Amino acid sequence: MSQTWFQHTFSRKRFRTRNQATALAILGVAVLLILGSLYLSQVASFAITNREIEDLISRRDQLKRQNEQLIGEIASFRTVPRLYARAIEIGFRPATNSDINYLLIEGYNPQRANAQLEARAGQQLEAAAPVYEETFSGWLERQFTLLRDQFESFGS
Amino acid sequence: MQGLTPQQSTIQARLPFVAIFLILMAAYLVINLANFQFFPRSVRQELEKIGSSVTSTTLRLPAERGLIFDRDGEPLAFNIIQYRLGVSPALVADDEQLMKLMAPILDIDEFELFRKINSENVWEFVAGPISAEQGQAIAALDELSLGLEEIPKRFYPQGTLAAHVIGIVLDDGLVGTLGVEGAFNDTLSGRVLDLSISNVPFDLPEDRPAEQRGNDLVLTLDRDVQFWVESELKAAVEEYKAYRGTVIVMDPRDGDVLALANYPTMDPNRFLEIEDPSLLENAAVQDAYEPGSIMQVLTVAGALDTGAITPYWTYNDIGLIEVGGQEIYNRQFQSHGTSDAATVLVRSMNAGVATIALEMGAEGFYSMLRAFGFGQPTGVGLFAEEPGDVKIPGDTNWNESTLGYNSFGQDLKVTSMQLITAFSALANDGIMRQPRIVRQVIGEDGVEEARPTTVRRVVSSETAAIVQDWMKRVVREGAPGAFMRGYAVAGKPGTAWISTAVGQEYGEHSTIVTFVGALPASEPQAVILVKLDRPQQYYGHAVAPHVFKRIADRLVILLEIPDDEVRGRLEAADAVTKAGES
Repeated sequence: MSQTWFQHTFSRKRFRTRNQATALAILGVAVLLILGSLYLSQVASFAITNREIEDLISRRDQLKRQNEQLIGEIASFRTVPRLYARAIEIGFRPATNSDINYLLIEGYNPQRANAQLEARAGQQLEAAAPVYEETFSGWLERQFTLLRDQFESFGS
Repeated sequence: MQGLTPQQSTIQARLPFVAIFLILMAAYLVINLANFQFFPRSVRQELEKIGSSVTSTTLRLPAERGLIFDRDGEPLAFNIIQYRLGVSPALVADDEQLMKLMAPILDIDEFELFRKINSENVWEFVAGPISAEQGQAIAALDELSLGLEEIPKRFYPQGTLAAHVIGIVLDDGLVGTLGVEGAFNDTLSGRVLDLSISNVPFDLPEDRPAEQRGNDLVLTLDRDVQFWVESELKAAVEEYKAYRGTVIVMDPRDGDVLALANYPTMDPNRFLEIEDPSLLENAAVQDAYEPGSIMQVLTVAGALDTGAITPYWTYNDIGLIEVGGQEIYNRQFQSHGTSDAATVLVRSMNAGVATIALEMGAEGFYSMLRAFGFGQPTGVGLFAEEPGDVKIPGDTNWNESTLGYNSFGQDLKVTSMQLITAFSALANDGIMRQPRIVRQVIGEDGVEEARPTTVRRVVSSETAAIVQDWMKRVVREGAPGAFMRGYAVAGKPGTAWISTAVGQEYGEHSTIVTFVGALPASEPQAVILVKLDRPQQYYGHAVAPHVFKRIADRLVILLEIPDDEVRGRLEAADAVTKAGES
């Protein structure tokens, strides 16, 4: 009886040992697989995002060029000779001094106001492109924070 | 040793040599290994280059030149992009299909295109420069074998307008020359950059660095005034059959050049087609000429200011005066009897003004010329400005008669810009403002405002007022062509004969006529200089004042300058308001 028990225990122990080692190995492989796929997914997401940024930069440059092209075209349509000819065409004529009546407005300075240019204001106000600085550890930390927040929200 | 066989003895004897050899070899290997770790800089750089050529490509970014605007933000100079198109024949998958797609876009012969697509070369140039639209259409084909290279091009949307002020750009938009393009080339020009772009997909894409772009310029020019001035100048040159002409409009209060025109002019978009190089000359700052009797005003102002004459000074005019052995005559050899300084100006009396210069003395006269800025560039901010030519006592080619001739603007050379700057000082209460063409520089760090600066006080306020008053009389009595209804104008016409190696030219087309006028005379807001080279008529007072008037009539509307009566009412109302406030 005792021998049977011993044999049984012995053989079971050997079986369990093998089983544990296998399980540990499988677990290790699984963890490695998970980490590997996480890494690969992160790298893929990096590459995709970079490609998107590159596309956006090139699209932005293209739009800027088109915009400058359009400004140039508009400027050629707005040249004084063209405007002058068009004004004459639709019945206007240059004003002479006798056509002009000056109104006396209290507090108004007759000096010609200095025109201020805001031509490049648009470009100056153009928001700087956001800096892409996400890292894997940062991503993990964010996921962990999200998970913790979820747990905390369950508790409350 | 005794127990050793001869063989063992031999081995023992040779063993140290073998050991030394092995040690030396090991040392050699260690040294080489160390050497391998610490490359010389040149080798390291070369290896890094090879390494980076695998992981990155270098992209040449063309310089982005700053833009130029007029004072109201109207674009005067712009950048546009054109493209050069090339093909890698080895990468073409379907040559027939590609040819059919490209030919209508490029509007070129299909056979020629097919030949290029099937060339034996690694890289074949296809077309260029092609327009931005064509380039974008080609890019939209998303064809791997095609390569587009950007070519920056300067574009002047206003055409010939202010061509000499703006200038031109050479070398694919890199080097500015003439006008502000030349004078402010360092400010305007961007930098060509070689940007290293990583081929590694995990590296962040490089963006175009902001500092690559040149700064923008805002000029003091008013596009509308410029257009009107150019139109009137062209009409005047044609009407009076002059060889060429120049007009400058300046605000004497801050030195702003509101308009600067030369005619004949050029189209900066097509300057390569220009056959006559003189068309590229900005006569306003590059053509120094003898201004003639217009200088009488400055001589009189200097004499008044130095006390050489008083406002009540008179002399007996006999029509001529001998200075340094040379006889100086009045216009048409007229004599006017007892005349005061104002009459000297009204009748443009050369003998009278030479008398005044003699009373000033050479030292006083040439100090006055220096104070008015003659003999040195004004620094207005235009390319290749000439200093003019003023001979002074001590120069080998100066003698006493030079003083006499200089007093009425002969035997010295000045530019139109120097003249208008000097007259603007008189109009601005005797204070000379630094003439300027650039009003603002806009860069990445913001807007840099070029504030008006004072050069110096040239004459006292009292002298300036007296001379302005006399110049009003000159217009009323001596140059009625410049008379404007509702506005008092202070001005002076001048006719200069053209000296040659064999003497003075006579007859038609043998003078340079100039008129400088300030308006409104009581509170000048604009000074206008009109200069016509070799008009058919001989005298300036018969030609230039009319041109001045035509420009001034439009200018008061464009600059919103009310007439004297309205301004009087406004000033009275202001005075009442101020009195009420106090």
